[in-house]
Amino acid sequence: MLKNINIGQHIPGNSIIHRLDPRIKIICTLIAIISLFLVSSFPGFFIYLAVILTIILFSRISVIRILRGLKPIFFLMFLTLFFHAFFTEGGAVLLEWRFISLHQEGIMRGFFMVTRIILLIMFTSILTLTTSPMDLTDGIEYILKPFRRLGVPAGELAMMMTIALRFIPTLLGEADKIIKAQKSRGADFESGNLIRRAKNLVPLLVPLFISAFRRADELALAMEARCYQGGRGRTRLHELKMERKDFVALILVLCGGVFTAVWL
Amino acid sequence: MHMLIELKNVSYIYEQEPPVTALEKINLNIEPGAFIGLIGHTGSGKTTLVQLLNGLIKPTSGQVIVDGKDIGENKKGLKDIRRRIGLVFQYPEHQLFEETVYRELAFGPKNLGLDKDEIDVRIREALNLIGMDFDKYSDRSPFNLSGGQQRKIALAGVLAMKPGVLILDEPFAGLDPRGRKQLTELLKRLHEQQNISFILISHRMDEISYLATRILALKEGHIVLDGSPAEIFSQPEKLKEIALDIPQLTEILFRLQKKGLEVRSDIFDIEQAADEIIDKLRSRNIC
Amino acid sequence: MNQIEMKHVGYQYNKTGEQALIDIDLTIQSGEFVGIVGSNGSGKSTLARLLNVLLEPTEGQVLIGGLDTHKRENVQQIRQKVGMVFQNPDNQLVATKVEDDVAFGLENLGVPSSQIRRRVDRALEQVDMQDYRDFSPHQLSGGQKQRVALAGILAMEPSCIVLDEPTAMLDPRGRKEVMSVVQDLNQQKNITVVYITHVMREASRTDRIIVMSEGKIVRRGQPAPIFADIDFMNKIGLSVPPVTELAVALRKKGLNLPDIMDVDELVKCIC
Repeated sequence: MLKNINIGQHIPGNSIIHRLDPRIKIICTLIAIISLFLVSSFPGFFIYLAVILTIILFSRISVIRILRGLKPIFFLMFLTLFFHAFFTEGGAVLLEWRFISLHQEGIMRGFFMVTRIILLIMFTSILTLTTSPMDLTDGIEYILKPFRRLGVPAGELAMMMTIALRFIPTLLGEADKIIKAQKSRGADFESGNLIRRAKNLVPLLVPLFISAFRRADELALAMEARCYQGGRGRTRLHELKMERKDFVALILVLCGGVFTAVWL
Repeated sequence: MHMLIELKNVSYIYEQEPPVTALEKINLNIEPGAFIGLIGHTGSGKTTLVQLLNGLIKPTSGQVIVDGKDIGENKKGLKDIRRRIGLVFQYPEHQLFEETVYRELAFGPKNLGLDKDEIDVRIREALNLIGMDFDKYSDRSPFNLSGGQQRKIALAGVLAMKPGVLILDEPFAGLDPRGRKQLTELLKRLHEQQNISFILISHRMDEISYLATRILALKEGHIVLDGSPAEIFSQPEKLKEIALDIPQLTEILFRLQKKGLEVRSDIFDIEQAADEIIDKLRSRNIC
Repeated sequence: MNQIEMKHVGYQYNKTGEQALIDIDLTIQSGEFVGIVGSNGSGKSTLARLLNVLLEPTEGQVLIGGLDTHKRENVQQIRQKVGMVFQNPDNQLVATKVEDDVAFGLENLGVPSSQIRRRVDRALEQVDMQDYRDFSPHQLSGGQKQRVALAGILAMEPSCIVLDEPTAMLDPRGRKEVMSVVQDLNQQKNITVVYITHVMREASRTDRIIVMSEGKIVRRGQPAPIFADIDFMNKIGLSVPPVTELAVALRKKGLNLPDIMDVDELVKCIC
């Protein structure tokens, strides 16, 4: 039953990291990512890693969970290492065979890049693991609000994200039903090569899309009936409030960012 | 087309946190030619049960045996099972996807590997069975039809596979009285003329009492009642015990019984019921 | 003042040219519980959508509490006064948590944050869903979802609620839940209810019914005598509750019975 899946990677919890204002968490993550790209040496990465591990400690989430987030990009990391190792030149030549050469500088660069990727993923994982998708949406809406003057429809974007989150389990359930119905008519979603399998998805995707459009239609009507007129002038049930811990976190991360930029 | 379906000690447990036992040690024989009404609350296991019958899911324990062969043991035979045991889900019109009615109806037969000519024959037969004209409808988009027509097309899509058993999950859902009447008559016709066995999941007791030759009631994964409509509905207290609706007519007859009027409660026709009531009243010299 | 007035209202779909409503005249007073019945295609849903300006009449005039639905400036006020619950329980819920969804209408109206909490809580209690405030919609049954949708309307404090076949997609348990909540609201809070259905068992609980067929109002009045006219009901494609059919059959065979829609009443009259 798909009803019990957790949307995104969010793990509910009560740690201080969980309870930070989502806006702060998003901004801190952005600052952290920027400073990560300013780090130019391995020692810098170690300090960075120490910071990450401290935050993970505070969040009471196991490090293994965070590292699991690296699984999907394993291949990317390997590719990065591979290409730098064999195509970036500089320093001593470690290996040579016909036209393929392995340079010391290349390997260093490769590892450097991969480490950066790992730390990046780890930091963003902390964000998604400790913040519910709804809170993330709220946070993003607030941060985008000042950009309304430039034409960014912050309220509407947030509404779209909320609705998407709301309907993911419903659409997954519907996909399940459609798959079963088509299987009962002899459809085969498993066998065949890639092209064949893509074609076989049509009996799933067409009804699913049609259903999604119909839902959107009916939902829009229901929203209008409840006086929805777009993002302007809307108040909220849950107001995001900044507390002392949020300011502390912000200052700490800002200092860290500046420190990294200047010294590392 | 006659076949025997047997369930031997079948249990099904959904793997989740915590695990949910949908069916527990079910033993059931479904004889050819039956029209079985399957009733029970949401969550009683009805949908799980029918999905076991056409091999969509495999029992956690126990066997599903069709014509003497355990369907769990034969992976390749699943397609054949799905041909012979047709399953129509709730709101079947939500599975339509083709550009024309013709291609939609061809989907099932094509999956069975039939050749073009045979598919054409099947489509014409299926449209005939549901009472829709081939020339008028075969080139139209299924999405340009009314809700009721779409539902009939979805049903025809399964009929085109020539199943020996047809399982329908809440086929009356969302239909207005006229639509229900039409569908009820269609199902009756298919049962009597086409020699198709039926398993009908519904909470519409009126339609079930009209169509079914046998009623199975599920509660929390167990079969709690099994008998003819006459047998089942003449024990209204038992049905009320498992908190299921009974046909309104049966309710009336039962209440009259309680008040001392000795009417039979296994009548499902209004005129007959009226005669019965008048009869019993006369013999009490009330009117 | 009349809560709802429709004067010579017609509606034509401009895409298909189909005339969905023809010369509709009706008045609904405050506090009434009115049923609108008809088979699919009779125009009853179109009529419902004219009541909260989801559609505007192509002929005639619709007045809600005296406000003309043709005037753009009235729309938001009318939609706050006349709340609507739709047929599909899923496609009305917009938020990931029950309490957020109930708050949706209030947020749209710009109600101050401090008041929203209070009104959401009250609305949830009125439909007996206060224990589910943190649930996600996909964890709820159909009947529970409809009650949440109803709470979302109640939070906006409407004077009238229109329900368009609210139980059509529910199982018997869900149907009972919704029906009983709606009846309570009408009887205890004096909220006007316009209930659109083709389920006669539900229509029989209303104060009076308006019967529609092919875009026109073909009969109005008390449910009992209308249902007892079995030929008429069959002609317009509606079914008669077995209890009424039985009463009519008994009457034909000599038993002196009034028009009956209720099982208890029939049993009492026979014995």
